[in-house]
Amino acid sequence: MNATSQQQGQGQQQHPNIEGRHDDDAALSEFLASLMDYTPTIPDELVEHYLAKSGFQCPDVRLVRLVAVATQKFIADVATDALQQCKARQSAVIKDKREKQQKDKRLILTMEDLSRALHEVNIKIVLISDNIQKSSFQDDPIVMMK
Amino acid sequence: MSDGGNEESAREIDNVIDINPAISRSGANEFGRAIAKIAVAQICESVGFESFNESALESLSDIAVRYLCDLGKTASSYANSAGRTECNVFDIIQGMEDFGLLRGVLGASEAPNCVIESGALREIMDYVESAQEIPFAQPVPQFPVVRARKLIPSFLQMGETPEFKQIPDWLPAFPDPHTYRHSPVWNERVTDPRADKIELARQRRKAERSLLSLQQRLVCNGDVIASTSTTEPHDSRLEMQPNASENPFLAKPLQAGEKDVSPVILPDTVRNQADGENHISLLEAFAPAIEAMKDGPSESGHDVEKTLPDKRPAVCLEFKTGKKVLGDLLDLRLRNRGSGRTASWFGHNDEKDDKKRRAEFILRQSMENQQELTQL
Repeated sequence: MNATSQQQGQGQQQHPNIEGRHDDDAALSEFLASLMDYTPTIPDELVEHYLAKSGFQCPDVRLVRLVAVATQKFIADVATDALQQCKARQSAVIKDKREKQQKDKRLILTMEDLSRALHEVNIKIVLISDNIQKSSFQDDPIVMMK
Repeated sequence: MSDGGNEESAREIDNVIDINPAISRSGANEFGRAIAKIAVAQICESVGFESFNESALESLSDIAVRYLCDLGKTASSYANSAGRTECNVFDIIQGMEDFGLLRGVLGASEAPNCVIESGALREIMDYVESAQEIPFAQPVPQFPVVRARKLIPSFLQMGETPEFKQIPDWLPAFPDPHTYRHSPVWNERVTDPRADKIELARQRRKAERSLLSLQQRLVCNGDVIASTSTTEPHDSRLEMQPNASENPFLAKPLQAGEKDVSPVILPDTVRNQADGENHISLLEAFAPAIEAMKDGPSESGHDVEKTLPDKRPAVCLEFKTGKKVLGDLLDLRLRNRGSGRTASWFGHNDEKDDKKRRAEFILRQSMENQQELTQL
């Protein structure tokens, strides 16, 4: 907990209410502690590897977990959107042909649903050729930064 | 959960990322991709999907990896802006805010006075509390695996002193001169063909002498019949023509009687036709040798060394082309063995096997060729 306090001291923004700051600090500390209990689906080693590649340097495991959780949430949101798209399409189909209801019960993640869901996040998937597909972050100046 | 059936074939995402050479082909990269694929599949499964298209899964995992990298880059850039090299939690939160703004996060319109109030963080916190925990399916080793490099040994380690004074000895050593300077491949040896021929002749003489002693020993063991004078002088055989080539297999075939070989003992039927000279029957001559082999390593060989007759019985040999005789067999053996082994012939057990084999061969030959020998 001491380390967290020192970190906060470095990048701390001015807050008029000192009491509130302490509460927020406590909330953050608690949250980071709770992260240790929660094991993100994306393994720590993978996250560490890609963070090291991008220049992110931090020995603290909690921050690694935080990044992993953020990514997991992002992917989960995208997947949820795609699922909604898939279900919407299935319901549209079922209206017309009821006999297909039994067959299409399986929910499959398709490129079409995925590209629609990603469009919400301003990620555009472009089909270059039949065999190669390219994904690019467009209209996303921060994400495109290299 | 299984990958859904799909007409699109699996493709290498590596081909796709041409725009970003930073994420280039590397072993760790492919491993990371595979793991990301598994993790993303697990997340999607928890969301509710039952199966995936291969292409969709690869694209999503690719996007996840990019998101990860970009978050790291953003956070590190914020840290650098603040004059730090190590990132802290606020850098990450600000990075998340940046990404969140584009997505549309509840409360993003309010500029947070305190980073704790950031909408993105709140969302994350809610997510952590609400979403179920799905640990990764398999244990993941620490990667990329760093292999210890084999360093060039320093001057000190090699035990050399650098030629130039300004070079300290803890630096890596210079490569060996043969790596950059042309040096002779083999030792230039002066070849003296005459000396080689003399040496070859000497070795052959040695072989003949030992063969002679063997034959004499065998004769002695069987109660030597008085030997007649040898028709051919012993010395003449020494003046052999050495072969021009060193290769024994390409040597000129020897003429009859040119080489000292063990006598081919003709069987009784042939003896009758001999020109009056004494012949020793094959079995008689080799019986002691056969018995000696049966008994094991012969000590008797040492006893009879001193009682060798000077002369050996005359041998009448007729060589037919294409016919195997004992002499040829011994000849090859002598050539292949060289001079070194002849001295120790009687001491080795494997030699006993050889002698046994030879004796059996002779017996067999004589039995088989009895009819042909009568024609001599």
